[in-house]
Amino acid sequence: MPVKKRANVKKSVTFSDDTTLSHHNTKKKNIDHDHPPVFVRKTIRTVPWHIIGLLYYYIYLSDDYDTMRLLYLLIPSQVLYLVFQFNSATIYGNKILKINYTLILISLSATILLTVPTLLMIIVFGAPLVEKLRESWLLALHACYLAYPAVYSLFNCDFKVGIWKIYFIFIVLGGWISCVVIPLDWDREWQAWPIPVIVGSYLGAFVGYSISAFT
Amino acid sequence: MNGLEDEKFLYKLRFQKFSESHTLYVLFLSLIAILQFISIAFFCKGFLLTRNVLDNVNNLNPSDLNQDYTKKFDKAVILIIDALRFDFVIPVNSTDPLHNQNYHNNIITLYDQFISQNNNKDHSSILLKFIADPPTTTLQRLKGLTTGSLPTFIDAGTNFDGSVIEEDNLIKQLYLKNEEIYFVGDDTWDSLFNPFLSNHSKPFESLNVWDLDTVDNGVISYFNDHLINQKTNDKKWDILIGHMLGVDHVGHKYGPNHFTMREKQLQVNNFINDIIESIDDDTLLVIMGDHGMDHTGNHGGDSKDELESTLFMYSKKTDVWELGDPNNYNIENSGDNYRSVNQIDLVPTLSLLLDVPIPFNNLGWPINEISKNQNERNIFEQLTLKQLKNYQEVSGLVVNNTEKYFHLEQLYQDSLIDSSKATIFQNDLLELCKDLWARFDYISITTGIIFLTFSLIILILTTKLIPSIVVSQLVPSFVPLIFIMILVSNLCIHSLNYVFQYSFFYDDFWWSLFATALGIVIGCFVPILDRYTIKWLIFRFFGELSDYWSRVGAFFLILHALLFTSNSFTIWEDKIVGYFVISIAILTLYEFTFVPKRQSTSALLTGVVNEDESEEDANNIQLIKESDSLPLSKGSRLLGVYYSIVLIVCTRLASTITICREEQGDYCIPTFTTKNNYSQLTLCVSLVLMLLTPSSIKGYYKLTSSFQGAAPIWISYFLRFFLLMNAGYWGLTTIENMLENPELDLLFVKLTLARTLLGFSLIALNVGWFMGPLCIDVQIDQKIDSSENQATIMGYNNIYGSQYFLFILNLFMCIMIFNKPMAQISLYLMLNQILAVIEIIDLFKLKENIIGPFTLSLISYQQFFSTGHEATIPSVQWDVGFIITDRITFPFTHIGIFLNTFGPHILVSLSVGLLTLWRQSPAILKPQTLLGRIVSNGGCLLIYNTVLCLSSFVWVTHFRRHLMVWKIFCPRFLFACLSLISTQLFVTLITIAFASGTLIRQINKLFWA
Repeated sequence: MPVKKRANVKKSVTFSDDTTLSHHNTKKKNIDHDHPPVFVRKTIRTVPWHIIGLLYYYIYLSDDYDTMRLLYLLIPSQVLYLVFQFNSATIYGNKILKINYTLILISLSATILLTVPTLLMIIVFGAPLVEKLRESWLLALHACYLAYPAVYSLFNCDFKVGIWKIYFIFIVLGGWISCVVIPLDWDREWQAWPIPVIVGSYLGAFVGYSISAFT
Repeated sequence: MNGLEDEKFLYKLRFQKFSESHTLYVLFLSLIAILQFISIAFFCKGFLLTRNVLDNVNNLNPSDLNQDYTKKFDKAVILIIDALRFDFVIPVNSTDPLHNQNYHNNIITLYDQFISQNNNKDHSSILLKFIADPPTTTLQRLKGLTTGSLPTFIDAGTNFDGSVIEEDNLIKQLYLKNEEIYFVGDDTWDSLFNPFLSNHSKPFESLNVWDLDTVDNGVISYFNDHLINQKTNDKKWDILIGHMLGVDHVGHKYGPNHFTMREKQLQVNNFINDIIESIDDDTLLVIMGDHGMDHTGNHGGDSKDELESTLFMYSKKTDVWELGDPNNYNIENSGDNYRSVNQIDLVPTLSLLLDVPIPFNNLGWPINEISKNQNERNIFEQLTLKQLKNYQEVSGLVVNNTEKYFHLEQLYQDSLIDSSKATIFQNDLLELCKDLWARFDYISITTGIIFLTFSLIILILTTKLIPSIVVSQLVPSFVPLIFIMILVSNLCIHSLNYVFQYSFFYDDFWWSLFATALGIVIGCFVPILDRYTIKWLIFRFFGELSDYWSRVGAFFLILHALLFTSNSFTIWEDKIVGYFVISIAILTLYEFTFVPKRQSTSALLTGVVNEDESEEDANNIQLIKESDSLPLSKGSRLLGVYYSIVLIVCTRLASTITICREEQGDYCIPTFTTKNNYSQLTLCVSLVLMLLTPSSIKGYYKLTSSFQGAAPIWISYFLRFFLLMNAGYWGLTTIENMLENPELDLLFVKLTLARTLLGFSLIALNVGWFMGPLCIDVQIDQKIDSSENQATIMGYNNIYGSQYFLFILNLFMCIMIFNKPMAQISLYLMLNQILAVIEIIDLFKLKENIIGPFTLSLISYQQFFSTGHEATIPSVQWDVGFIITDRITFPFTHIGIFLNTFGPHILVSLSVGLLTLWRQSPAILKPQTLLGRIVSNGGCLLIYNTVLCLSSFVWVTHFRRHLMVWKIFCPRFLFACLSLISTQLFVTLITIAFASGTLIRQINKLFWA
């Protein structure tokens, strides 16, 4: 499990991108390891239960795997998750910043922009080049909106803190692993593109949001 | 003076040492190669089934056995139209979605005859679907069609040299009855039945698939001479056999969907008409195909399209056949529900019609339609039943007093009374035989697996676990010991066999192989275990896997090996392998963009940095910064990002080229088709790439300032010239393909061009390379403030790599000739992939890591698939064998097919040396160390292929009764064996023995002589 390993190593050096901060605070080095300026509290409150709910709905309740409808459900629930759970567990410096509603909107649209590189990456990984482009883009939308709380937080600290990377990695990893079911010859309807990868990235996101703070 | 002499002496000593250890390394690796070949041989012996052929000949004519029996025909005309798929001969409605004007509704005579006479109640013709048994290669089908038995998979390999058929067969029976058999057509017949055919027979060269007309025109003119324009009384033959290849060759060359197919089929149709008109009343006409063809026009497997062929029987006599229910002959849905018979059923059918003994090994059953009434049918069935029973008893297929035996006995007794039971008996016997000829030799299989495991352990030990310095000290003791152990074990085993006067399990030859393998294993393990404990080695093993990139490499190797656990994964291996390459590239891209601080991968620091010791963090970071490993400078990070993107884009683009195996079904759209291969667009893309590739290679050279000396000549002149000529060759082929009626015969021009190119790239350039084309230049700068001149050697830092890559280019050129245009595009991309990987590995300073060889290995598999191959027999591009010769000539045909199939593996086997040599300046490493590292990287490549081979061994054994074993797992296992063998040969003999040896010697002579 290569990525997992990477996560473990990062324990010792938290600011991979932020060299200025770590240089300034050499005195408080030990404290900084426990209380970096921006971190997510190690609490069970960040567990995104709504993702499980959405998955349950997607897999068991809806019988047509309507990916579009799932997206409509995902976006508001992610916003709610951000406002009520994720943001209130994120500590900037020593305080919890109040939710910034303009930033919510900005990052909502930024997430849409993020789908373009995501789509590119999906195609690079082997999605059909032209046909099924709509499905691939839907997948990109899902993946990006799963990362939405992290995108918001990234904006909120001016792209300076690298701890948000892990959230993206978990979503990608989930999608990456879930590809395993695509070639199987079980002839199930849920093997159609992009359903397995959507489910995989949801699971990845669930794990990511639940445990990233602890790593 | 003294110092200089000392230095010379030192150099001589060092050179001698290098030569010695080079020879020893090559010997050692060759011995490991031999061990692996032996284990593969053992496994194949156990797994690839062979059928026990009985030489008994049946000598009882039907007329001798049964008084009531009457012979129906005196003479027969048999016409075999190779690859006559069933839907070619039945009408297909033009509104049908499957309808294709190139191959449907062209051969209309057969069905017209069948249906019109059926309507007139003449009953003079039968048209049936004819189901072949896999493998659907012509040789196997001819054996099946004449012996009535089931040739096994292993026979498939002998397609290129058929030898006279040993077992009882129809042709032999006819010959024994003194019938005169005239034959014309495919010379496979000549090699199979030569003693039985008349001297007037006229075989034609068969495997030249580019030649569409020679055989057919030969058959037609022969038939004209002996049948159509001949008066009845003058006919000297009793049996006239023709075998036409045109349809099959069109399929191989252009695929079924090509206008040439239509022309060919119309020609066949007219020919059939002529034959039908000219035969007389006593003559039976049989027209059949030996197999079908798949959507690409190839055959060999067992898909529906390959199995379904045609059988047509006709006579001028009326009322000789009895057709069943008309609904049986339903031509809707391209004849999906049409009545079908097995190919082997033809044997008893013809025997009974012509009154010859049913061949001894026959397992077929007479076709129902040939008997006019119930009485006749009973006679036929009882005759066949006797033959089958006799075969069962004599062959001892079923052990007496077993449940199966009683079951068959019961059925047989019932059948004697009630003929309707007889078909059940035949069916059960047939199924039983199919089962039995799938009986595996588990002792050989286990031996093969165990030896291969040992060879894997030896490879891992010597290339990764034991430091290469120690290995170079150990090798001198390895090699003699191995030879001694081989002798000793041979001696022991043979004397044991001599004492007991009996060989268990194997015969002497196999025991010798066994003893040799055992000797190698013991000879390797004794010196290793003498120095190291097993515990230490296991500890080392996990230590070796302690860094990030090694784990990534091992992870992908394990995933790749696990693909053989499921038929779906094996089917989709082409896509999955591309996915893996891209995943690795994404990981490197991530690494270059974010530079996460992780344990350094350089050998010095492994095991020192401990993440728990947080106080030491700062020191460690300092250490890492000082050492030349991570973090990288901004410039090299940017470069790294660029290389990763190049790797990703090239891989993704190459993996759009696919031939699609049949099991992938609708989920895969083939792009490697004849149409695309010879389209103008492909030609244009190749032209563009032809111009771009030398420039991009130049770019890589310029980065290390090695575009000096020989490099411009090689890359800008030789490579460009070659690629231009190569494009010319394939351009001609494209034109030839597009012209409807090629008036100019390009064969001579093409052959000359191809031979020139091969001679140029394989011989001239390699001789040139052997002379030592250095890619350096001495630049003399006048210093401003002194009178001294300062000389700089340009390209000194990459002196090994730049020269070595020229050698790879030579082989690249050879491989290019034998690849079709689409595959050439893929190979162009492959060069970029390889260079990008080499540069990435160099930037990360991972030259010693397993990730380098493993990534290259993945690329070789990805490229195997994207050069128009699949791990199936029909996807082998046999036609490239005729690029440099127009007929089968050993070894040129074989070289062509080999270079075509294993081209990517060859390129990667060579490039693995580049991992060590690229950007390796000669000042740092001693020649011996350098060699040790090349061996280590080559060993990693072998480890990768060995693990895959081992995994395919284990899983193909596990799935031996799987429905898909012969279709999916067995071809994949054969492919794994062959790729291991070719990688072994190229890594050991070419990369290490030839190229590295020459290169290191030359360069060291230059600088220290």
